[in-house]
Amino acid sequence: MRLVGPIMSGRSSSERAGPTSVLERILRSYRPAGFLPVLLTVLLVSFALFIPNFVAVQNLLNVLRSSSYLVIIAAGQMLVLIVGGFDLSQGAVVALTSVTSALVMVAFKETFANEPGLIILVGVLAGLGCGAIVGLVNGLCVAFLRISPFMVTLGTMSIATGCALLLTSGIPVYGMPKSYVEGFGRGLWLDLPTAFYLAAAVVAVIWVMQNYTRMGRYILAIGGNMQAAIVSGVPAKTYLILSYVICSMLASVSGLAFTAQLGSGQAVINAQLTLESIAAAVIAGVSIKGGVGRVEMVALGAILLLTLTNAMDLLRIDPRIQAIFLGIIVVLAVALDELSQRRAALV
Amino acid sequence: MSEASISNVSLRSAAETSRHRRAARWGFVLLMPLLIVAMALAVSLVEPRILSLRNIINILVQSSYLLLFASAQMVVILTGGFDLSLGMAVSVISVATALATTGLAAADAPAWLVFVAGLAVGLGVGLLVGAFNGLFVSLAGINPFVVTLGSLNICYGLATTISGGRPVFNVPDAFTRPLYDGTFIPGIPIPVTLAIVVAVFLHLLLDRTVFGRALYLIGNNPRAANLAGIPSKRYLFLAYVTCSLLAAFGSLMLTARTGSGEPNLGGSLMLESIAAAVIGGVSLQGGVGGIVPAVLGSIFVTLLSNAMNLLEVGGYVQQILLGCVIIAAIFLDRVRATRA
Repeated sequence: MRLVGPIMSGRSSSERAGPTSVLERILRSYRPAGFLPVLLTVLLVSFALFIPNFVAVQNLLNVLRSSSYLVIIAAGQMLVLIVGGFDLSQGAVVALTSVTSALVMVAFKETFANEPGLIILVGVLAGLGCGAIVGLVNGLCVAFLRISPFMVTLGTMSIATGCALLLTSGIPVYGMPKSYVEGFGRGLWLDLPTAFYLAAAVVAVIWVMQNYTRMGRYILAIGGNMQAAIVSGVPAKTYLILSYVICSMLASVSGLAFTAQLGSGQAVINAQLTLESIAAAVIAGVSIKGGVGRVEMVALGAILLLTLTNAMDLLRIDPRIQAIFLGIIVVLAVALDELSQRRAALV
Repeated sequence: MSEASISNVSLRSAAETSRHRRAARWGFVLLMPLLIVAMALAVSLVEPRILSLRNIINILVQSSYLLLFASAQMVVILTGGFDLSLGMAVSVISVATALATTGLAAADAPAWLVFVAGLAVGLGVGLLVGAFNGLFVSLAGINPFVVTLGSLNICYGLATTISGGRPVFNVPDAFTRPLYDGTFIPGIPIPVTLAIVVAVFLHLLLDRTVFGRALYLIGNNPRAANLAGIPSKRYLFLAYVTCSLLAAFGSLMLTARTGSGEPNLGGSLMLESIAAAVIGGVSLQGGVGGIVPAVLGSIFVTLLSNAMNLLEVGGYVQQILLGCVIIAAIFLDRVRATRA
């Protein structure tokens, strides 16, 4: 990765020059990380100092749990952004997964009355299946029909939302096995919410994929320069489709965890979810033009967004005004990043 | 001799390809109207009401609102960007205008003042949103997706905050009449008249001014635009301002129609406006488009939902069908583009 990265992703040659001083080496390792970790640390410390209850265990667990869902989704969004695409259908996939898995679990309740494990397995598989199908449709349309990803996923968003509403008429689906809701959704393992482990596992797997596997390099190459990647023998279409499928399936994973926590299948889930996942990725320095993005940064971006939301909640700031703040923060974060990169390019 | 024949052949083939190209371009222009007529005729076999005069006027009125939003979106799509904040900008403009006009009417201001103030507030807020988007996109060079995602959130927050989340009712007649109720040209509803005026204006702007032609070049090849000495940044800024001003005018027309300022007015407009523009044939890659695609796209989308309503298709199924149609239409567009 270190050797191939700059060449494959078409970065400037400045990174290839040998390090000279210790300071420079530190700066160089700092540059790709950007200001996000610093910003997050500063915010966390100041919130801990100035906002009462922020460091309360219950509150920290809440932040951890709610950001876990976003981390999973944003990691998927990142993959699609890296290959130069978009996925507007993520929120709809979360809703469709939630509804389908709940409906399937309720339907099999009688058949496997004594085996809740089996009920859960069937429900989870059905949910993941929804994600895989939507992702496959997205990927096939983008790779083979070469339709703009924005429009494809806009279409599948509409279709998936319609299906979810049609299946339930908009009414929440209750009746999932208790062990799924209490044990998995609301449960704590080693004093931490289960969703946290799920998110950590997802980030770890994608991190390994990005840094140590062929796929990680291939998708960077596809996003950096599609033509060059194809000419170099990258099976671009396969990996393009694969990224969309993984993206949608991660949305499904998040949907499953979220459904388990809610205890019901919901066709109407936070409409801003897709935009939040894109915002988290973009704050973390993922380029919308493709070819750049690291999953650990995206995880930090998602945590940053939800920490801010949580702090504003604790400060009793009206959710409507919170939206204004979030908008300003997203634009400023990206503007700062852009400016720092420009300065780096000048040096 | 041989040279002459070669050049002859190449000339003929050149003429042939240009004829092909012209044919393809006509196919490009005619496909959408044919599709619209075919859909209307097909539906009329099952449900004749779709071709009644009243329904046709209804479709025209509804698509004139969508036309304003689609052509607003088209202006920035031409430059290779898009405006996600459009829908929420429509909401905040609607609410702000309603608050201003009801306030003035309550203070017994004369009718003309209410009308002028409503226009000024609406267009003023539109100008602010456009300037925000334009500044960050052109000067700071940030991706339009991120910038307009930010302004979407800001507009949403503002719209729900200043209205308290509730519609602002009783927008005075002084404001609604000139934009909706009254008659300007007998027989043609005011929204249609206004949409035609805006369409003609926009066509002249895009086709006959340096600014308009420059937008195409910026979308096609930004580097070439810079090399050609076009002040790209200024024009990009102006494109976003134009977009938001058009959206603001559409919002004022909608507010006049509903007679209230609605914080949820623009909920689905952002996606609808992009869909209408792109279905009509505006390319999301930038540099391809015009007022005709925007008109056709708006009529198509409106006709589709009108037909589904008349056929009593359920709302959820409509959503699914709309998604399929968007993908199919874009696919057709791809085929068209590769042929041409």
